[in-house]
Amino acid sequence: MSTFIRDFIEREKMNRRNFLLASAAGMGSLVIPSAFGFDRARAQLVDPQIAWSYRDRASPYWLAIVSGGETFVESIGRPRDSLVNLINEGSSEKSLADIVSFLQATGGNCAIACDANDSPNARPIVEAVAAAGAYISTIWNKTDDLHPWDFGDNYVSHMTWSDLKPSEDLARALFDAMGGEGGVVHIGGIPANNPAIERLQGLRNALVDYPNIELLDAQPGDWDTQKAADVMSQFLTRYGDQIKGVHCANDVMAYGALEAMRAEGISGIPVTAYDGNPEAVDLVMKGDLLGTCFTNPHWGGGITAALAYHAAIGTFKPSEEPPEHREFYGPTILITQADAENFKKEFIDATPTYDWTDFWGPTNGQIQYPASN
Amino acid sequence: MYALQKVDKKFPGVHALKAIDFQVGRGEIVGLVGENGAGKSTLMKVIYGAYQPDGGQILVDGKSVRFANPRQAMERGIGMVFQEQSLIANLTVMENIFLGYEQQFVRWGVINWREMAEAARHQLAKVKLDIDPATVTSSLSFAQRQLVELAKVLTLEERVEGHLVILLDEPTSVLSSEEVQLLFRLIRELTARASFIFVSHRMDEVMEISDRIYVLKDGQVVDVVSRGGSSAETIQHKMVGRNVNKEYYREQRQKPFDSSRTLVELDGVSLPGRVTDISLKLHAGEVLCIVGTEGSGREAILRTIYGMRTPVEGRVLIKGQEVTSFSPRTAASLGVGYVPRERKIEGIVAGMSVYENMTLSQLGRHSSGGVLKLAEEKALARDWIKRLSIKAHSEHADCGNLSGGNQQKVVLAKWRSGGSDIMLLDHPTRGLDIGAKEDVYEMIRDMSDAAVGIVLVADTLEEAIGLAHTIIVVKDGRIQKTFGATSGVKPTPFDLLHHMI
Amino acid sequence: MSTSASDTAAQGRVAMQQTRAFRRPSRETLIRWAPLLVLIALVVVFTAINPAFLSLRNFGRIAIASTPALMVAIGVTFIIVMGSIDLSMEGTIAVCACVFAYFFLSWGGTLLSTAWVAIPLTLLLGAVLGLLNGLVHVLLRIPSFMASLAMGFVGIGLAILITRGEKFLIEDEVFRGLVTYRVLGFPIMVYLALAALVVAWFIQSYTRLGRNFYAVGGGEELAHASGLDVRRVRVMGFMLAGVFYALAALFAVGRLGVAESVSGANFMFVSITSVVVGGVALWGGIGGVWNALVGVLIVNVINNGMVVIGLPDFLQDGVLGFLVIVAVVLSTDRRSVSFVK
Repeated sequence: MSTFIRDFIEREKMNRRNFLLASAAGMGSLVIPSAFGFDRARAQLVDPQIAWSYRDRASPYWLAIVSGGETFVESIGRPRDSLVNLINEGSSEKSLADIVSFLQATGGNCAIACDANDSPNARPIVEAVAAAGAYISTIWNKTDDLHPWDFGDNYVSHMTWSDLKPSEDLARALFDAMGGEGGVVHIGGIPANNPAIERLQGLRNALVDYPNIELLDAQPGDWDTQKAADVMSQFLTRYGDQIKGVHCANDVMAYGALEAMRAEGISGIPVTAYDGNPEAVDLVMKGDLLGTCFTNPHWGGGITAALAYHAAIGTFKPSEEPPEHREFYGPTILITQADAENFKKEFIDATPTYDWTDFWGPTNGQIQYPASN
Repeated sequence: MYALQKVDKKFPGVHALKAIDFQVGRGEIVGLVGENGAGKSTLMKVIYGAYQPDGGQILVDGKSVRFANPRQAMERGIGMVFQEQSLIANLTVMENIFLGYEQQFVRWGVINWREMAEAARHQLAKVKLDIDPATVTSSLSFAQRQLVELAKVLTLEERVEGHLVILLDEPTSVLSSEEVQLLFRLIRELTARASFIFVSHRMDEVMEISDRIYVLKDGQVVDVVSRGGSSAETIQHKMVGRNVNKEYYREQRQKPFDSSRTLVELDGVSLPGRVTDISLKLHAGEVLCIVGTEGSGREAILRTIYGMRTPVEGRVLIKGQEVTSFSPRTAASLGVGYVPRERKIEGIVAGMSVYENMTLSQLGRHSSGGVLKLAEEKALARDWIKRLSIKAHSEHADCGNLSGGNQQKVVLAKWRSGGSDIMLLDHPTRGLDIGAKEDVYEMIRDMSDAAVGIVLVADTLEEAIGLAHTIIVVKDGRIQKTFGATSGVKPTPFDLLHHMI
Repeated sequence: MSTSASDTAAQGRVAMQQTRAFRRPSRETLIRWAPLLVLIALVVVFTAINPAFLSLRNFGRIAIASTPALMVAIGVTFIIVMGSIDLSMEGTIAVCACVFAYFFLSWGGTLLSTAWVAIPLTLLLGAVLGLLNGLVHVLLRIPSFMASLAMGFVGIGLAILITRGEKFLIEDEVFRGLVTYRVLGFPIMVYLALAALVVAWFIQSYTRLGRNFYAVGGGEELAHASGLDVRRVRVMGFMLAGVFYALAALFAVGRLGVAESVSGANFMFVSITSVVVGGVALWGGIGGVWNALVGVLIVNVINNGMVVIGLPDFLQDGVLGFLVIVAVVLSTDRRSVSFVK
């Protein structure tokens, strides 16, 4: 759906949600202290329900996240469909409202994995969960001043992925493939979107070491194949033969760039992508794409649910863990032609069996915040 | 008190007003007559401020003024009662009366409805209309709406210092004759507070109400007639430059109809709330006029025959065949053609060309396998443009740009060219000038000669009497009386009126 | 020279009247051709800033980008001419793209096998979806705006169900020849789109259905009073639009080799904008498929040109919006409507 109609619909929903939310909050303030007030002292839960709160079912990324969550619940002897899906459809209000009703339905006996949809929304969610005595682990969206250790045990952990380093590494690989000289163009995500900013910044960081490479242009492709194809063909008109390499902020835009060049009969210009979708890995193996980067959403989805669950049942006590076990970067794996085949065998053709109690093994260190002043 | 001096208005290719001198005295009722295209509507627009003159000047109480828009004219006491009713149907009467002037009732951003209703009642009292100001306008009759329009303009009294000038554009066109008399009485009473400019096609009414009559032709004032100073024929002669003879309604061409062929038969038809127990027969070559006041059920009868309404009781037979499924589609396929009153809504599609409009109801005959035979359509259109002398530059002309009379001819041609032999005409001469009216009468006689049966709701009683073979008088949805009206034995308007009211 | 001020003013007025007298008769003509003039002006401006804009290769690129959008715009033109609106295109395209790819891949994956059957099947599917859309609108008496919007969501849901969030990749060289094989500098799909445009024009101008669209759009009550089956015309219109959306889906898949649940994204905005910019009146009855073509080209020329002249990306959306308003102002006769709703 185009955004203006979706915005309209969402606004309508939002109004309703706000109303529901207000009534839920009113009710909650009455019910929660009386019914669960004592639960704050409860150290652990018995057989809590597990939920994943995320954006939508339309993207491979979130499907992979959920499949990880389902694999995890299976590993503790429950059916896959016992994982509750709270789909927020890109609305922060729905995200919060769904979690509040889930907390009420379970009486706080639950473990939640969650992407709060946008950063400011993380705080009310975490507060609602903590107030109900339930446990939550989050990924991607939270504000810099919100920390798990401020909530005792109930806010178990937060994981995010830094795109700076992998994007920079991909850019270096691209520049090397270009022979260290010539023009490069960047097709970015929706402007002002955090990953889009980081992935372009990674490219700029790499440029410092390659004086003969020129960044000709960077234009938004809105994470969309078709828009990216349009932008690529426009680049071809503007820069023509000057373009020696293409740096794309995700896989689906890289397809667009490749198709735009294919329509013109152009081949041999190296292109990098990001996300490590199976189709992209195939293209890396064929040599159409120079490389992409995999963030292992399957593991991320499983381990986030596992963290919340195990903290809830008392396998470990979050408040006794060091900060790098509460806020950390998720794993990233760079895929180039050399390792694509192995990668495909390991991660795509088969789903690796993970030890869902090895919570921090593949992670990449504590989250660093930009120095505040 | 209000005067135009040597007012000129030009449009590209048209010199619409040529040095018009025009005066309205205090408390005077001034008539304005002229054929369509004579410049009446341009003159009116200049008066109420919608157009600015290119030359000459406008004087109010001797001072030269210039109005940039109608609102400025209103502020000087010049108001307009529109022909195309300007009330918004889904608003209440009081909202319409004070549309754009609600501010006076607003306290802290909230409209004080009670106060507005009180003020509205005051305005309605001026026009002697006793209705609840909170009534939704669409539920009023046409006559009531006309009075509400007048009441709306009369709010100027409170807002403006001094005397008012009120323009009435065809105020009687939707009124029955007793309503017209009511309106006239009211206007005469109001002359204490306002002067009126009365624009109408109905010569008798203009002559009855006006103190002086301006006769407009080709953008010029050709005569100013004082009350009783001239006969209707003379004025009409000046307007059109020819005589309107006694055979205005083409009575000499009226021939006996073929009573052996019944085209339409209604047998005990009832539509709750509209008509009750209507039985009638229409024969080949007959002109059947339905006469009654507004809302008496005239229109419902036409619409039932055309399949736009489904009767609850009774039978409708078209050419001996009983109609079971009522839809315009079925009726059209049985040869029924309908010329609606609201030409602009149901008569022609503005934006479509003459030939496209003509063939709209019969595309099946001009296409094979869904593909149109454009050449055939255009040839047909050219033929009918010639037969009815439609004034259009070609069959490609946009119907929306034709004059009312020519649009009406296109609508008639649409059905006649499709071979319809039952024609339902609802006020076919409404809003047409005399020349165009005569063309329509001519066409009605032509159709009778061609054995077409015609059901007519006429604009005036005289028209009905002049044209009809048979007259049916309806009142409150029931047939009161049927008159034979063949040449020589025609009833008088009084005979009819007697049964109408 | 002792011309008084009033003389000069009078001369000025006369001159003004003369120009008006000269221009006025052609006002309708001017408005009719305004979209094309806007298009030409855009091409001239972009070329002046960057001559690379005016090249066969770039026109080829604009043509490729325009092709799927043109099909959608043609479809929605019929609906808008009827005085309705259709917002189901994104859903319809998504379903058609995914169903096409699904059957194309499972029946052989190349045009040279029985997989070609997927093409007529997709067109049929488009017609069926349009039919449903029209029936919901007409039978349940839901405004076309709401009915089609709802059907669009249903379509996207269906597409997600079919793809389960995955993508279908079409690698077949023959099918992809749509975009890779060129004649006179333009890919085959551009010629096919032009052929579809001619068919649409034929329907618009030479068939009963086309005439009926205009009649319904110009005056629904009149069309009804003239014995037209207005409801049937409406349903047929939505069906026809559905077929063009299916064509758009085929071209979109052909262009990118990918079918997914977001294959229809953005087509609603682009197509409706194009149609309006091209001079089709939203209140119905005015305009046609040629307007749709010019409108689509205007929008795509603007999009292409802004990058080609190197306009910063943060300005592009604003400039696009601004140019769209300018184009609409120039290309529609707003005097013909007293109130714009």
